[in-house]
Parts: sequence; structure tokens; C-alpha cells
Amino acid sequence: MTERDTRNASKGWVPPMELDLDRAAPVPAEEETALLTGSGDPADLLPAPATPVRTTRRLGRWLFGALAALVLVALGFDTADLLARAFATSLALGVLVALLAATAGIAGVAMLVTELLSLRRLRRIEELRAEAGRLEVDAPGGRADRFAGSLVALYSDRRELAPALARVRDHVTDAHDEHEVVRLLDREVLSPLDRAAYQRVLRASRDTAVATALSPAALLDFAVVLWRNLKLVREIASLYGARPGYVGSLRLLRRMLANIAVAGVTESAHHVAVEALGGSLAAAISTRMGQGVINGLLTARVGLTAMHLCRPIAFGPDNRPSMNRIRKELLSVPKQVL
Amino acid sequence: MRIPDLNSLYDAGSRLLLESTVRVGVTGLRRAGKTVFVTALVDNLLKAGRLPFLDVMSSGRFQAARLRPQPDPDVPRFDFEGHLAALTGPDPHWPEPTRGIGQMRVSLRYRPESALKRTVQPMATLNLDLVDYPGEWLLDLPLLRQSFAEWSTQTLDLAARPPRDELSASWRGWLATIDPAASAEEETARRGAALYTDYLHACRRADTLLSLIQPGRFVEPGDMKDAPLLTFCPLQGGPRGRGSLWALMEERYEAYKTNVVRRFFAEHFSRLDRQIVLIDVLGALNAGPAGMADMKRALELSLEPFRHGSSGWLDWLFGSKIDRVLFAATKADHIAAHQHAQLRALLDRLVGDARNAIRFEGAQVETMAIAALKCTESVVTEHEGRQLRCVRGIPVGRDRPTVLFPGEIPEDAEAFPPGRDRPYNFLPFRPPDDLGRDPRGLPHIRVDQALQFLLGDYLT
Repeated sequence: MTERDTRNASKGWVPPMELDLDRAAPVPAEEETALLTGSGDPADLLPAPATPVRTTRRLGRWLFGALAALVLVALGFDTADLLARAFATSLALGVLVALLAATAGIAGVAMLVTELLSLRRLRRIEELRAEAGRLEVDAPGGRADRFAGSLVALYSDRRELAPALARVRDHVTDAHDEHEVVRLLDREVLSPLDRAAYQRVLRASRDTAVATALSPAALLDFAVVLWRNLKLVREIASLYGARPGYVGSLRLLRRMLANIAVAGVTESAHHVAVEALGGSLAAAISTRMGQGVINGLLTARVGLTAMHLCRPIAFGPDNRPSMNRIRKELLSVPKQVL
Repeated sequence: MRIPDLNSLYDAGSRLLLESTVRVGVTGLRRAGKTVFVTALVDNLLKAGRLPFLDVMSSGRFQAARLRPQPDPDVPRFDFEGHLAALTGPDPHWPEPTRGIGQMRVSLRYRPESALKRTVQPMATLNLDLVDYPGEWLLDLPLLRQSFAEWSTQTLDLAARPPRDELSASWRGWLATIDPAASAEEETARRGAALYTDYLHACRRADTLLSLIQPGRFVEPGDMKDAPLLTFCPLQGGPRGRGSLWALMEERYEAYKTNVVRRFFAEHFSRLDRQIVLIDVLGALNAGPAGMADMKRALELSLEPFRHGSSGWLDWLFGSKIDRVLFAATKADHIAAHQHAQLRALLDRLVGDARNAIRFEGAQVETMAIAALKCTESVVTEHEGRQLRCVRGIPVGRDRPTVLFPGEIPEDAEAFPPGRDRPYNFLPFRPPDDLGRDPRGLPHIRVDQALQFLLGDYLT
């Protein structure tokens, strides 16, 4: 080794050279196979996110926990009591009650498990979004393939997305950097989903508008709007791969309400007012129509927020869904109804 | 026979409305890869299988592309089929350097994005005109601003400095023996021009990749070989009287400017709508600090029109028509993928001035690291306990692939750190085998993004 070589090596610098052909592996080996096959558990592929600082009120948790435990204990005692009495009456009755109790228990546990799983899926999407955000700004480091692998795994069992996923696999080469891979997934896989989700929001907001306009009682249309909104949120979430359970959708709805509120109460109120006045002709004809339009707009807002919350890659400035088409659609509702 | 007439009228009208034409100038110094870029671009448009970042493709609105007769019947056609055959044939090799100008037109059919346009005509057409020419000719552009005396001083000054001093020895020796004030002899002029041309050819062959070769037609005469227009060379000293050798040379220099340079740029450059400037940054890095400095100087000279914006003849030359300019560092496949960001940063620094000036004029500017034809793949290998990202491909002149660590471009400003001789070794790779069998088109790096930047707004 010459003097210059040692000096260079000491600085950690490697001179240009040719290397052994057989020892070279494609970049980055294991992650690319994950990307190509769509296998690999995303939970393993993604680094565990830092646990966010919980800001929920501790006392409330304790209260709910304790109450739930009390109810469970009471239920247990009652069931045991019931079983004892049933067996005391007759063996057949005892077996029947025991079977019923067992079924209820198993069903309850199964439901709990599915709920937990759906919550995990929701959390995974949030992780993916955070990861995508990091990839957009960070310096390269070979994590894009991992991200792509996770996203592909999320959608691997969706038959209608198979062509898009195949296209992405086809297009991504070793020359694409993180930013490009994320953009490619966004364009090829998620934009068809966006279009479908937007259609659903459009339909749901029209439904609520018409239902409110036609319903005879205020309580009834409240129920209809609530049910339709919940259904919309679940539809959108399953479209993006979250498939939430009941708890999941409630959680989503809660986060969404917070989101709508935080995103600007004033802004949304202002918009609604403007929409209401803009549709003043309809409002003048019938207050029910006006209310219908307002309810439709609120549903649309809920739907669009759900899209924002369920999308694994955050919307960019040029593909953000807009209220424009929904607005036009809704303003034509009075005409349709009349 | 009323109805056919009406139909043809409607056709003509809608063609006027919906058939738009865009002229893209593919500019670059020699060896920057203009010919391969045009070939790969056209092939990818025709086969439409590898352009995910072109919006019109990814949104499914693209129908098909076809080659069409070019608009200028007096310009030779770009030999697309020949170049493609060279790249995809049984013995893949790079096309021969371009000797003359070539033009071609590709027509793209697509469904317009806006509902309004779709009602007028469901299918729109965009004619894409591409011009390829020897890169040497680009460096004639700065001559327009220089008098013979200024150009002579500058050229002589450059020729006396290393690494050019050795190459120009015989020509400068001849210069020392003649007297510019002596009466003009055709024989002397021819002798001088021949020696000067030899010197330019020697520069072109040099390993240090000397880019600054003026006037371009001396080495790539196109159709004017041996014309009197090309028999002059720089002379030392100031202007001399009538009938002297100096006066003869000066007259020919001016004629060259008027008849060759001005005509070429007026015919081909002044009508451009979009411009892509290809720069072989890696080649210059390979050539070492001297080659890098030479290319930087050549770039500065040829980008001067951009730098100065609207100032008289430049306005005439570039007009205000070009509204998007893309600077692209070519041959990005010579380095591992994770280095592309650094390559782009280096290019940013190289064209920084010109970029600011073009932005100031109101055009959009973008820089990218591209490869018109991807010949390598990035691989990881171990070396003395460290993971190295390398490229794997078949170098030109060999038949077995190799793994090459070509050196890494540092992130900070200094491309040539002191104390390291030859920090880079970018081997030329040959096109991979069996390219012709892939129905998706030639593999590339970011040609689709370049296209989206250059044409995206036309294809809406």
C-alpha cells in the first residue's frame, strides 16, 4: 500500500475501483424482494413509531377501567349464580345455560379481537402516512422500498388494485429515489382510490341532503344523518384499507370531529353560511331544503376529512379533493326534489 | 356534395384549434448524449410503457404516438431507425457522433383533460418536433458577439495555456513565422486553417475532454467542407490594412458569422418553444479539474444568451418564446442511484447563474439527473468491512459485466478535494443486450419526468 493510499484510507475515503462481480447484491436486497412479492409483514418492516404522549385525562381512564371491571365481576358472579341455579333445577337446563354463556363469551372475545385488529390497521395507516411525510423531506437512505413494501402488503389482497400494484412493481427501478417511489405509489395506486372515495362522498352528501329535505320529523333526519355519516366513514376507511370496526369508526369519527373543529370552526361556519345564502333561492322556497343542503355539506366535510385521515400518503397541494363539485351537486338537489 | 365540404372544413378548423405543435430544442455540448436522448425519447413515446411520471400516461388519457413527416422538407431527417438499431441490435453499440443536423416529428394523440375541449373534439393531437445537431455547433453562438480581434486574442491566450499548449504547438509555431500585415495569399490562409483545424481535432481527441472548440464547423463541417468560409484562423496582433492576410481572415470570419452561425440559429433556434440542455457532468468530473474548468467555461459561453436575458441580438435569437428550460446532467446511470441527488446539486452549482437569469426572465427552470438509456444497475458490495454502493454493467469494449465503484461526489461544494488525484473513474458502459425485445421501450432514468416538465402543460 503506498503512502497516498494509507492516507486516503485513514480518512475513510475509497478510491474508484472495480470490485468482485460475484459478491455484489442488488440494492437493497431483502427490501426489494418484499416490494416485488408484496410479502413481508408491514408491522415488521416498519420501525415501531415513537409512542405519542398521551394527553387523555388519566382520572377518566381509571374511572372507566374500574367501572368496566366492576361490571365484569358482577356479570361473572351473576353467571356463576345462574349456572348453579340452572344445574340445581335440571341437568339439561344447566347444560343449555352453560352453552349460552360460553357462546356469549367466545363471541365477545372474538369481537374484541377484530376490533383490536381493525384499530391496529388504522394505526398502521397513520404510521405509513407519517413515514411518507418523512420520506418526502429526508435525505435518501434506502427506506422507500420498505415503505413501498408496507403499502403493497396493505393492498395485496385487493383484487381491483392488483393491476395498479403490478404497474408500480413494473415501473420502480433501482434508480428511483424515495421521493419518486412515494409519488409513484401516490399516482398509480392511490389516485383511483381517491376518485372512488370522492364518488362516495358525493353520493352520501346527496343522500343526506335529500333525506333531510324529505323527512317529516327532525329526530328522524338527525338519525338518518348520523347513520349515513357513520356508514360513509366506514366505507371510505375500508376503501383505503383500514376496514374499521365499530370502535374504530367511532374513534375515526371522534378524531374527525376534532379535526373539523380544529381545522377552523370559524371557517367551516363561514362556509356553511355562505353556502346557505348562496342557495338562498332554495332556502326561500323551503327551510327544509336549506337544511338539507347544509346537512349535505356537513356530510361532505366529514367525508373529505375521513379521506384525509385514512389515506396512507397525505394529499399534496395538487390532488387535494375539493368541495367544488359537491357544492354544485348539492345546489341542484332542490331542483331534483321539487 | 355539400356535406363532404362541410366535413373537411370542420376537420380543418378543429385541426387548427386542437392540433398544436411544440418545438423542443435538444441542446448540449458534444458527447452530452443528444442523439441517444432523442432516440430514447421517441422510442419511449412510441412504445409508451415506461413513462409513469408523464401525467397523460398515468391518467390513462394517452392514445398512441406515431412518427409523422417532419415540417421542414429541406432539413435531413433524424435517423431514428438507424440509431435505434445500433442500440438494440445483436451487437449493441452507441450511435456514431452526429455529423449534421437532423429533425423529426412525433405526433401524440390523447384525450384532453378538460370537458370543454373534449366536447369540441374527443381526441387532441400534439406534434412534437425535435432537432438534433452536432454539439460543436452550439459553441459558435458566442462568436456572434465577438469581433475577429477579440476572438483571436482569446483563442490564442487559451491555446498557450496547459493542457492546450502542447496540442497547439505546431499551429503556434506556424503563426510565429508569418506576418499578418503581409499581402493575402490563399495558400497561406489554407495552410493556417489546416493547422488550426488539426489543433481543434487534437483538442477533441484529448483525454481531458476539452469542450471549448471554436468554430464548430471546422471539426464538423456538415455540408460545407473545404468552403472558403472555413479557411481562416485566429491571428496575433491588431487590425491591419486592406489586402493584408489579417483583413482576409477577418472578412472570412465575419462571413462565417453571417452565413453559417446566424443562419443556423435563426432557422433552428429562434423558433423553439422548449429547451432541454444536456450536460455531461460526469464526463467532466472524469477528465479532472482541467476538463471540468474547460467545460464550465464552454457552458458559460454557450449559456451566455440565457445569462444576459433580453439584450439585442439575444432577444432576436431566443425571443421570448422559450418558457421552460430544463438542465439535465446526463449519463446518471454511471453512478449508483443514491448519488443522483449529489449529481443534481453539482449541476445546480454549475448552471446557477444561467438559471437565475432565466427565472428572472419569467421562464421556468428545472434541473435533473437523467439517463436516456439505463445501462447499469445499482448494487451493494462489501469492501474492507464497508458497504459500498456500486454500479454493475458491461463496459464498452468488454463482454463480461463488472462491478464498478466510480468514486462518490461529495455533498459539499468541492468536487475535487485537494490531495486526491483522480477521485473519479466513470467507465463508459455499453447498452445492455436484448433491449429490442422489451416491448415497453428503452429503459431510462427520469426521461419521463423530463418530458412531464417539458410537455406536461401541452398534454392537458
